[in-house]
Amino acid sequence: MNAVEFVLAGMLAAATPFLLASLGELVAERTGVLNLGVEGLMAFGAVLAFIIVYHGGGHFLGFLAAGAGSAALSLVFAIVTLGFRANQVATGLAIGILGQGLSALFGKTYESLTVRGLPKLALPWLSDIPVVGGLFTQDVVVWLSLAATLAIWAMFAYTKAGLVIRAVGENPKAAHAIGYPVIAVRLAGVTFGGAMAGFAGAYAAVVYTPLWADGMIAGRGWIAIALVVFGTWLTGRIFLGACLFGAVSLLALAAQATGLDVPSQLLSSLPYLVTIIVLGIISSDRRMMQLNGIASLGDPFEH
Amino acid sequence: MLKNLNRRILMKAAAASGLAAVLGGRSALAADEPLGITLVVPSPVGDVGWGRALADGLEPVKAAYGDKVKVTIIENIAEGPDADRIMNKTVADGNKFLIAGSFGYQNGALQAAHRNPGVTVLHASGFQVAPNFSPFAAKYFQGTYLMGMAAAALSKTGKLGSVSAFAIPELITSINAFTLGAQAVKPDIEVSVVWVNSWFDPAKEQEAAKALLAQKCDVIFSNAQDTPSVIAVCEEAGIYTFNLNSSMKKYAPKTYLGCVATDWSPFFKASVDAHLAGTFKGANAFLGVGDKVVEVVDWSPDVPADMMARIKEVETKIANGGFSPFTGRIAKADGSDGVPAGATLTDAEIVAMDWHVKGVTTPLPK
Repeated sequence: MNAVEFVLAGMLAAATPFLLASLGELVAERTGVLNLGVEGLMAFGAVLAFIIVYHGGGHFLGFLAAGAGSAALSLVFAIVTLGFRANQVATGLAIGILGQGLSALFGKTYESLTVRGLPKLALPWLSDIPVVGGLFTQDVVVWLSLAATLAIWAMFAYTKAGLVIRAVGENPKAAHAIGYPVIAVRLAGVTFGGAMAGFAGAYAAVVYTPLWADGMIAGRGWIAIALVVFGTWLTGRIFLGACLFGAVSLLALAAQATGLDVPSQLLSSLPYLVTIIVLGIISSDRRMMQLNGIASLGDPFEH
Repeated sequence: MLKNLNRRILMKAAAASGLAAVLGGRSALAADEPLGITLVVPSPVGDVGWGRALADGLEPVKAAYGDKVKVTIIENIAEGPDADRIMNKTVADGNKFLIAGSFGYQNGALQAAHRNPGVTVLHASGFQVAPNFSPFAAKYFQGTYLMGMAAAALSKTGKLGSVSAFAIPELITSINAFTLGAQAVKPDIEVSVVWVNSWFDPAKEQEAAKALLAQKCDVIFSNAQDTPSVIAVCEEAGIYTFNLNSSMKKYAPKTYLGCVATDWSPFFKASVDAHLAGTFKGANAFLGVGDKVVEVVDWSPDVPADMMARIKEVETKIANGGFSPFTGRIAKADGSDGVPAGATLTDAEIVAMDWHVKGVTTPLPK
């Protein structure tokens, strides 16, 4: 297996935690709510999933608990920001810190324990192609998150639900005037975002890196938020950004392993640089940026 | 008497003791008060890893002194102002013996030592020395040399790998000695290194291990990872692996090559003895196999018997000072003289090492 095959085979799995969390944040932000607590929501989901899988509950139940737990935590955020119209930035940060604290507390007795990951499923025919075959050998969560990407893209592109979400995010007063329940839509968006962050954390702790260690999310939640912005709130670009970030991180490691004469500090920063540059270039069109930007992002809704 | 604290509980405790001070006033320290020993570590103390090795090093001290010492472990404290504050607080609370378990605590710990001459401070892997302040570090390289010999005997591809945290001398010497040990058995063996540039990122460490496996490395050295991230990947892939500090054999029952373990208890015990006797003198403690601080444990039964005999022979020589892995001639990666023929590096030269030996294929980050 050479470096290219290694990157192609691992790229989608490396991208999955970012992708899941970013998709959730995308939907929340599209309704006009900025939730900066993703890092903590991921950590909370990760520890819940780990505890369940460690005690033999299985991966399905682990993911379910992670989604439910992080959704519940994001409900706290929703109550404070939507119900009491508190500042979303400050509340999001607080919820994020709370999530990390809870994950450390719950995970205390599980520190550096390991569990088994999930088997990889190979697509027939496709996985036999030389070089790119590895791309088609992935665990079930990767396939499901690709499906989720497609579903969310289709929802925004073709369905009424997608239009309502966008209307609420663009102009909540107008949406309210024509009879859409702004708060309910935002509540749903935030809860969905929380659940997805939980899934992302679960993937990190019981599939991608099947072990628990306090702080193992290591900033991935923040990268997920950044991907949403750099992807200009478009599903396709966010997917591209997540894949690019995953691929370049692996490429940087593979380059070192092969003895390429490039400083490792530069290689370590390459994923950030490349993702920012590529997404920066595609979203450099200012008109597009204004078109896709969410007008009411971060503003509390009062009527 | 062991109290395991984390930052949040500590804050509560701090608030509570502050309240107590307001209500009742603080009683003066009685003469027969137990010696308060505080260990501060940067990561959570798990079943394994660096924090665990330091915590375990205090067990014999507790066993020897019983009620006369009171050990507190404060874990998961980030390097920086937070750590400085916590170290000052613990000294202000009357603890007279502080173990600062991370390089980045150096300035704060040194200040605490300067301000409180009656307090003894031990500091991990630093270079500053004061009358009541001793830096301590392990000669891991003595153990990784032995591991290199075993790795070369077991490797089929002739390529070894290491997932390493940061390119600092302590880690570089471990990789160099590992390479030299392997070359002593198979002269043309190669070592690839992936620097993850992080002390703690299990996901990235696993990706790095997989990148090395993709390059056909068939023995992997987990260099300064606190969790079994690398070890678990290797067990799944059926690749021999080893790590530093505390044994992770239970995470790789089939492919665990061994552990370059550190046992700090002789050093901690001697330092506490000296503190209580009033004879403590700060000095640079660079301790290895001969001091019984570094020891290779949990050797894999797969290491061939004749190689094991050879390893034991070298280990004995290292312990009694008859052999150093860094005896010339040793070529640098670019072919120039690292150590001239006949010369041996001094401890001071070893702790400042900033070059790879020939055979390490990954260039050293500058």
